[in-house]
Amino acid sequence: MREITLSKAVNEAIAEEMRRDPNVFLLGEDVAEAGTPFKVLAGLVEEFGPKRVLDTPISEPGFVGIAVGAALTGSRPIVDLMFGDFLFLVMDQLCNQAAKACYMSGGKLNVPMVLRTNLGATRRSAAQHSQSLHALVAHIPGLKVALPSSAYEAKGLMKTAIRDNNPVVIFEDKLMYQDKAPVPEGEYLIPFGKANIKREGRDITLIGTSSMVQVAEKAADLLARDGISAEVIDPRTIVPLDEETILASVRKTSRAIVIDEGHQSYGITGEIASRISEKAFYYLDAPVLRMGAMDVPVPFSPALEDLTVPTPEAVAERARQSVRGELFHAA
Amino acid sequence: MPHEVIMPALGMAQDSGVLIGWLKAAGDPVKAGDPLMEVETDKATMEVEAAHDGFLTDLSAEAGATVPVGQVVAMISDTPEGSGKPGAPTEAAVAPKEDSKPDAMPEGRKIIMPALGMAQDSALIVGWSKAPGDAVSADDTLLEVETDKSTMEVPAGHDGYVAALLAAEGEDVPVGEVIAIISAERPDAPVRRSRAEASQGRPEATESLPEKAAPAIAAQSGPAPKTTPAPRTAGAQPEPKTRSAAEGGRVLASPKARRLAAEEGLDLQRLVDAGATQPFHVRDLETLRQLPAPQPAPAAATSHAAQHLTADVAAEALDAFLDWLAKESAPATPRAATLAAFAAAAWADAMGEPGAVQVEAPPAAAVQYAPAQGQPIADLAQTDAPAILVLRDLVATPLRAMQLGAEATPVLSLTRAGDRVHVTLEGQMPPPVAIALLSGFAARLADPLRHLL
Amino acid sequence: MAAKAAAKTGTQKGAQTGKAPKGNAEDYLRMYRQMARIRAFEDNANQLYLAGKMQGLTHMYSGQEAVAVGICEALTDADKITSTHRGHGHCVAKGADFTAMFCELLGKEEGYCRGKGGSMHIADQSHGNLGANAIVGGSMGIATGAALSAQLRGTDEVTVCFFGDGATAQGIWYEVMNMAALWNLPVIYACENNGYSEYTKTAEIAAGSLTARAEAFGIEAHKVDGQDVLAVNELTTKLVARARKGEGPFFIELDTYRYHGHHVGDINREYYRAKDEEAQWKTDRDPILNFGKWLTEQGVVTEDDLVAMNDEIRADAEAAVAYAEAAAYPGGHEVDMHVYVDSPELDAALRGQTAA
Repeated sequence: MREITLSKAVNEAIAEEMRRDPNVFLLGEDVAEAGTPFKVLAGLVEEFGPKRVLDTPISEPGFVGIAVGAALTGSRPIVDLMFGDFLFLVMDQLCNQAAKACYMSGGKLNVPMVLRTNLGATRRSAAQHSQSLHALVAHIPGLKVALPSSAYEAKGLMKTAIRDNNPVVIFEDKLMYQDKAPVPEGEYLIPFGKANIKREGRDITLIGTSSMVQVAEKAADLLARDGISAEVIDPRTIVPLDEETILASVRKTSRAIVIDEGHQSYGITGEIASRISEKAFYYLDAPVLRMGAMDVPVPFSPALEDLTVPTPEAVAERARQSVRGELFHAA
Repeated sequence: MPHEVIMPALGMAQDSGVLIGWLKAAGDPVKAGDPLMEVETDKATMEVEAAHDGFLTDLSAEAGATVPVGQVVAMISDTPEGSGKPGAPTEAAVAPKEDSKPDAMPEGRKIIMPALGMAQDSALIVGWSKAPGDAVSADDTLLEVETDKSTMEVPAGHDGYVAALLAAEGEDVPVGEVIAIISAERPDAPVRRSRAEASQGRPEATESLPEKAAPAIAAQSGPAPKTTPAPRTAGAQPEPKTRSAAEGGRVLASPKARRLAAEEGLDLQRLVDAGATQPFHVRDLETLRQLPAPQPAPAAATSHAAQHLTADVAAEALDAFLDWLAKESAPATPRAATLAAFAAAAWADAMGEPGAVQVEAPPAAAVQYAPAQGQPIADLAQTDAPAILVLRDLVATPLRAMQLGAEATPVLSLTRAGDRVHVTLEGQMPPPVAIALLSGFAARLADPLRHLL
Repeated sequence: MAAKAAAKTGTQKGAQTGKAPKGNAEDYLRMYRQMARIRAFEDNANQLYLAGKMQGLTHMYSGQEAVAVGICEALTDADKITSTHRGHGHCVAKGADFTAMFCELLGKEEGYCRGKGGSMHIADQSHGNLGANAIVGGSMGIATGAALSAQLRGTDEVTVCFFGDGATAQGIWYEVMNMAALWNLPVIYACENNGYSEYTKTAEIAAGSLTARAEAFGIEAHKVDGQDVLAVNELTTKLVARARKGEGPFFIELDTYRYHGHHVGDINREYYRAKDEEAQWKTDRDPILNFGKWLTEQGVVTEDDLVAMNDEIRADAEAAVAYAEAAAYPGGHEVDMHVYVDSPELDAALRGQTAA
């Protein structure tokens, strides 16, 4: 099978859907000729024209609001938010308007829009361009949240997101745009709410999101050398979340670590760990662990930034402690 | 057509207003926009204007009255006399479809069954502390309710009068349901009824205030929680307990280890006794499975072999002592008491703790004594305490040797052979204990006086 | 449909000037009726609140009827509007039904939003009302997006964005005006300037001129007497026609007045607004009274006809209130419905995929 970059995969997904449905259009900063600073959208304005690949001024609340209005009235916008950190700017339009229009209207209005943005640190972009804020939107009823972990997921999830009649926020890891993965030539969609078991194992379940899936896989390699067999699960979407696959895995292995690049506290890891603790309690032979980014703003210095995110070595070490029963906290 | 004049809602958090005074009199003509009355909220005094043209009639509230929001205070009618009585007082809060007039509820504050614990969705009314028509102040106890934890007093919460009691003693009421109404004014026709009466003829039983509903039922997907509280039944524990709980200290173990241990009938306490490090995990169960048969517990019936020990002492000293004691004590100390005292003392020495002794001397009925250390034999009284030792006094019988096998309680048997007394001890206890017990008892029989000192 | 009078700039007080062609009598009567309906609706809504029968907060539109009616009478059902927290007037003017509106205000199942929106989120999708909004300025982006969508889909639909003078303080307005102007979007920004932003005079919260703000983006701006329904309607009709041809966006500032407080509980309000001022607007500049006078002077109706119409409207409103009060609440099972809609085509595609 051919291998393409995550960037190309996203581009293909959007182009295919724009060809398929004339109501789909793109808007955002530098999406047209520039194809965004990450060059993911290069070529689209040439094919679809500047009306459907619409450059906007630097007005995030404004153009997200415009996307909501367009989605309410028959269009299917993909709005590009250049950095996930800018979510804070658009929260009213996304969380008070887009997320709630359907419910507040008793189901008569709906907002089929996709907000495409990114997450991920270790690019030396410092605190305001490095955040992973998917927990914020996962918390708001009415939104769906997708976290592609490779080019394959990026294409399939993006296509599904565009065809979903509800607002979807999709976060790509900005560190992964040049990473290649096998992607089929033909048409495929990845359903929301269906996790992927990337590797089977017996001794411990590692649940990772986005690029933490690769971290978990590398940790599993390290653990294999110690005779510990780790199962790696990629939820793919956190709203909706495929609990059953995760719970079935933990019932089998009796141990779990949840790894996510959002901050450790009050985020994704806590939510998933809590569901495991509640619903697989009697199968647990070790406490459920969480590994998120450190609860600090992302530092600029290369010497510091890399310390703030989970690494394969750190995950493997925690897994060993779990398997050996070394996680007891004396009162 | 007559129009109602109501006490309006004049602020966001206000349930009633004070009617300061009427600015028009009954029968006066009024035009829409004319001020009719002055009312006071906690923020300010203001005028309430007529909403229609007509004549002001049927004034039903006096100056100075505190009136709940929404209650009709007058009418604007087509004629100065008024076209009839004002309509039934309107409810202060929106309610779902209600029965027609015969059941009309009195005006007032609705008192709901409160949530008295986080996992409780109903409570039992133990009793009302006030009757319909009684005056109450906010701190007075209105009723007592029972949850699965305890009985609690519920205060009235508002000053006023009990206008209605809507559930009866002994009824179980869901949290959030209206159980009483407290009115500002003394009610003309206070209501008392039960939930059972209320739900007759009405598809939805009694009403609840929507904003005070019981904690939201989880609408999330997933199975219902296992540990739903059952207020009145002691439900099965959700988690299997290990027998170690009786030992006092907690045994720390993973949920899976506990579950598997319970399923296999394994006792985690034995791992504790064997010195394994807590918390226990599933792999520790392998160790537990390999442990040898359980060690005997000091106090409980264990797997010791049945024991049979005998001793042999001269009867002379015991006979002499018993004769002397019978003459010296008034009333005469029973022989059984003396023997019990000796047996109990020997037991206390051997076991380290006192115990009651049952003396069987057929054909007499069995008697029990629980001698305390140092207590004079003459002062011994019979007791009902369960015996830990049985003494069978068979010297008056022709029986000589006993071999009956161990019983639930150790047994000391006395038989006579000529001028000697045979003592037999049968039971199941650690050998050193058995030896000490018999030796101690026999020694006392051989030399009673010495042991008394 | 409107008279051929020139577009008015500058505010006008008092009665209309000039005679109107008789052929428009039907339109005029409809405008009068719609304004009277709004007034009757608000009077009843206010009473429901004061009687403690309506929960939460609502915001009365009484006094501003000519704005909503003058504008919405220039629109079709395919045209869109976005509304504000003071949205009952827009909702009625865009064709809504009393019963479904009162049901919504009382949280009943037969409300426009099945009771889930209430006063501040009432939406009537079938008539193009994209909804009231509880966030000040919250619908400005939505209105602009609706206009963009109309353009992308190649229709000649126009969107009107209603907002108050207070919302001109929201940054998003400037962002979307900028984009509307850049892309020539068919949107009309209609600022209902009632002189107060909640409890503060507009002059104290808006520096400079409101029209100049739009003009800074090259957007053609107009001012009109918001109490003169014909003036409002004439202006709007012209601008809508031009917007349909791609000449938008436009901005209209309408001078108007709200008779009640900011919200229904804002009763003791003399500290920020004088009773004399309120009385003066009610007597001299009431849009319904003045239009009624003009209609009778022009011989379009008699006073008796107007009285009869008002009585009929009041009876309708009261009947709708009674219906709504007796209507059922949504069942408890609806509490977690409508968070999402279904995507049947997507589901079919996914099913087809696994089957293959």
